[in-house]
Amino acid sequence: MDKKYIPELEKIVGPENVITSFEERLTYSYDSTRLEYLPDVAVKVRDAQQISSIIKLANDYNIPVTPRGAATGLSGGCLAVKGGISLVMVEMNKVLDINPIDLLITVEAGIVTEKVSKAVEHLKLFYPPDPGSMKSSTIGGNIAENAGGLRGLKYGVTKDYINSIEVVLPTGEIVNMGSNTVKAVTGYNLVDLMCGSEGTLGIITKATLGLLPVPADKVSILAFFKDMTDAAKTVRDIVAEGVITATLEIVDKVTINAIEDFLKIGLDRTVGAMLLIEVDGQKGAVEIEADIVMKVCSANNALLVRRAKNDKERDELWAARRAALSSLSRIKPSTILEDATVQRSKMVELINAVNEIAKKYNMLIGTFGHAGDGNLHPTILTDLRIPEEAEKTEKVIEEIFNATIALGGTLSGEHGIGITKARYLKLELSKPVYDLMKKIKNSFDPDNILNPGKMECNWDF
Amino acid sequence: MEPEAKVKIKKEKFEILKKADDLFVCSRCGTCLAYCPIYKQTLDESLTPRGKMSLLEAISKGKLEYTDRISEKFYTCTSCNLCKEECPSGVKIDEMIETAKSDLIDVNKYPEVIDILKDRIKKAYNITFDSNIGRLDWVKALPEGDPRKYVKEKADVVYFVGCVSSFSPRSFGIPRSIVQELDSAKVDYTLLGEDEWCCGFPLLNSGIKDAASDMAKHNIEAVKSKKAKLLVLSCPSCYHTWKHEYPKYYDGEINFEILHISEYLLRLVKEKKIRLKPLSGKITYHDPCDLGRNSGVYEQPRDVIKSIPGIEYVDLEANRELSNCCGGGGNLESVNQALASKIALSKADEIIKTGADIVVTSCQQCNRTIDAAMKKKKKESNVKVKVIDLPELVLQSINSGKENS
Ligand SMILES: Cc1cc2nc3c(=O)[nH]c(=O)nc-3n(C[C@H](O)[C@H](O)[C@H](O)COP(=O)(O)OP(=O)(O)OC[C@H]3O[C@@H](n4cnc5c(N)ncnc54)[C@H](O)[C@@H]3O)c2cc1C
Ligand code: SF4
Ligand code: SF4
Repeated sequence: MDKKYIPELEKIVGPENVITSFEERLTYSYDSTRLEYLPDVAVKVRDAQQISSIIKLANDYNIPVTPRGAATGLSGGCLAVKGGISLVMVEMNKVLDINPIDLLITVEAGIVTEKVSKAVEHLKLFYPPDPGSMKSSTIGGNIAENAGGLRGLKYGVTKDYINSIEVVLPTGEIVNMGSNTVKAVTGYNLVDLMCGSEGTLGIITKATLGLLPVPADKVSILAFFKDMTDAAKTVRDIVAEGVITATLEIVDKVTINAIEDFLKIGLDRTVGAMLLIEVDGQKGAVEIEADIVMKVCSANNALLVRRAKNDKERDELWAARRAALSSLSRIKPSTILEDATVQRSKMVELINAVNEIAKKYNMLIGTFGHAGDGNLHPTILTDLRIPEEAEKTEKVIEEIFNATIALGGTLSGEHGIGITKARYLKLELSKPVYDLMKKIKNSFDPDNILNPGKMECNWDF
Repeated sequence: MEPEAKVKIKKEKFEILKKADDLFVCSRCGTCLAYCPIYKQTLDESLTPRGKMSLLEAISKGKLEYTDRISEKFYTCTSCNLCKEECPSGVKIDEMIETAKSDLIDVNKYPEVIDILKDRIKKAYNITFDSNIGRLDWVKALPEGDPRKYVKEKADVVYFVGCVSSFSPRSFGIPRSIVQELDSAKVDYTLLGEDEWCCGFPLLNSGIKDAASDMAKHNIEAVKSKKAKLLVLSCPSCYHTWKHEYPKYYDGEINFEILHISEYLLRLVKEKKIRLKPLSGKITYHDPCDLGRNSGVYEQPRDVIKSIPGIEYVDLEANRELSNCCGGGGNLESVNQALASKIALSKADEIIKTGADIVVTSCQQCNRTIDAAMKKKKKESNVKVKVIDLPELVLQSINSGKENS
């Protein structure tokens, strides 16, 4: 491997920020997919100028550059699949400006998601997108994946809070996109294009994010059901009754048991499904909505429905939900998490389809997810070290995707395509649309140096 | 693939090879990044629990050998175990790190300080350059300054002082307070004097497993020879070692109760053998990792503090199971002083945020680390929070009003 460019990298960021040893590079080779691709070098960067210089160097030497946030991604986005430079963003973690009048905060892109809300807590403001990984993930990673969270139903996803961004283009220019006004229609909506671009179109270095006032009141409700179907019907009916809850999360029996094993907070292990619901807003309104929610749960044969007893229990329940995925990995060594999303009205059908598939392949699947958004995370529990299991897992994934698309759904609601879902793109996109995407990529990145190999498939294969 | 990745090693050699299944459990979710004090200060992935697990997995698969660089990673850790507490997948991170260190000892790749430590303990049975006769020097400043008075043939209670409190003058306040409290409660107690050996924790924590059995045997028998019913310890690491490690290394029966001084003080308060008199001020408490998370003693020190009339108690935001390490754990200081002190400064910030006038610890090591950080803070920003150990606070409370009245 020709690494003549290493001294030049060292000149740009200082030798201490250029990571070349095999041992250390190994720790920049994975993300939460647990796949591994070794970068040739990992580089810790501190500002847009450094990144721009690196990008120019990369174009000169034709070296792939892959941005890396906290590597909590679930589709392999930050993996250096073609080697080259892993561009480590975590040191760019400052809050640059807080503007409580216009409800805006400006941050560097490597800041940890949760820190954004923490920074404005004292002003009784918050940053709504709250992915399960928010204690570790970065804003840059969130924007690049258009991350969702638990509050998606009422508050939307990352893209709904990005006013403007500073981006280093794959050709090295440092540009600003978007506007910090409430409305802006000047030119194409490039911010939305960048949002969800998985680090293939540019490196986000700064972002001005929208904030909201912390709601005056909130109530958490817990409901148990005999099966997922009743729970899913409840979800549909709650929204049909005109209540837009802040969160509406579904958890199945396998997952309830995994969480209980880990946290021991006294969840009922015998029930078939659980809904975790939070309504928030003005004081009186919250009470009215909570009542409606509880009535709808009862009408759908809830075995038990009750409010969180106090703040402590409320926090425990949400911590429990956040621990769902990782807790599942206690059951089997490999957890393959899918991100199938359908319309709310089709969720019962999707759940049934997943159950059928699990039965057909005799595979243990734990399902949880953002039910209010129709975004389920069926999680295949397996052991990929065993070849037959790995093969079976592939088939299960493919069938889940087929079922999702047949229901008019989408491959991924929030985790992105990356490498793990790339070969299924054909199931959902038409050829002209895929070609258009490639043309967009090419016009941003003619040398294809930025995160190559992502969201890419061999169409004719 | 890289040429380096093809390195093949003699498989049987390492303990870690037996832990492949445990290592596979790490889902690389990154949750531990939010908690590891080392990562929070360095933002260096190779020092995170996740990174450490991935390195060990590579070793267990024969992709990598133990190198000096890897050794550096594993000894850059405070052993605070917050990662293990918070890992949702239940990875036995502590056990994996311990195994790695023990392998590193086997292949002679470990920090030089460990050899020095090993040497000192072997020669003098303590971690200092002093002879073990000096174990009781701290007694001399007491009114009853004759060391011999503190070492009896037999007693109900043995107080195991620990190396740091025995030899480091800045920690003498702790054992001095404790013996005065035991005296005031009329407890029949003794010290071990020269017969107290290092508990072995510094070696165990460095990965030298076989060293502990001699220490365990000697110390347990020393306590037994006093016919004691109870052993009290003030150092959380000694306490943890006695309680959780010694049983693994000692075949015989341990026929006495083992308590940390915070537990014992609470007992004496409840039995009304110690009378706490009013003090004033706002007090917070720092959970030492080896006492709290690693031994499960959370409430007793708090209950002692709260029993003192007149004080206002406030918890740190991250407390009990979630308490942040002060930076003084795991011998990090001798491997990377600057990093340890950064961690301590961030602990100091947490403490300052509570608005307390006094922070109480139950550990001479935490006490020293936090005190040093607080002194820096005072210079920088003139905030002042007093750092004292629980037994010192209790003694103040016992003696409260004496001078004035
Ligand atoms: C336990 C767990 C729970 C999760 N819960 C959720 C959830 O509720 N909702 C959800 O949406 N996701 C969730 N995720 C997935 C993941 O956390 C998100 O995709 C997150 O946005 C990734 O952020 P990151 O900083 O870790 O990015 P990385 O994984 O490092 O990178 C993700 C992608 O972003 C790119 N990238 C990173 N930084 C930049 C930048 N500055 N500029 C351009 N591109 C960049 C990378 O190249 C890559 O393509 C979860 C993951 C885990 C492990
Ligand atoms: S929290 Fe546990 S499972 Fe997750 S990355 Fe850290 S060690 Fe691995
Ligand atoms: S024990 Fe503490 S310092 Fe060591 S890896 Fe775990 S969290 Fe980090």
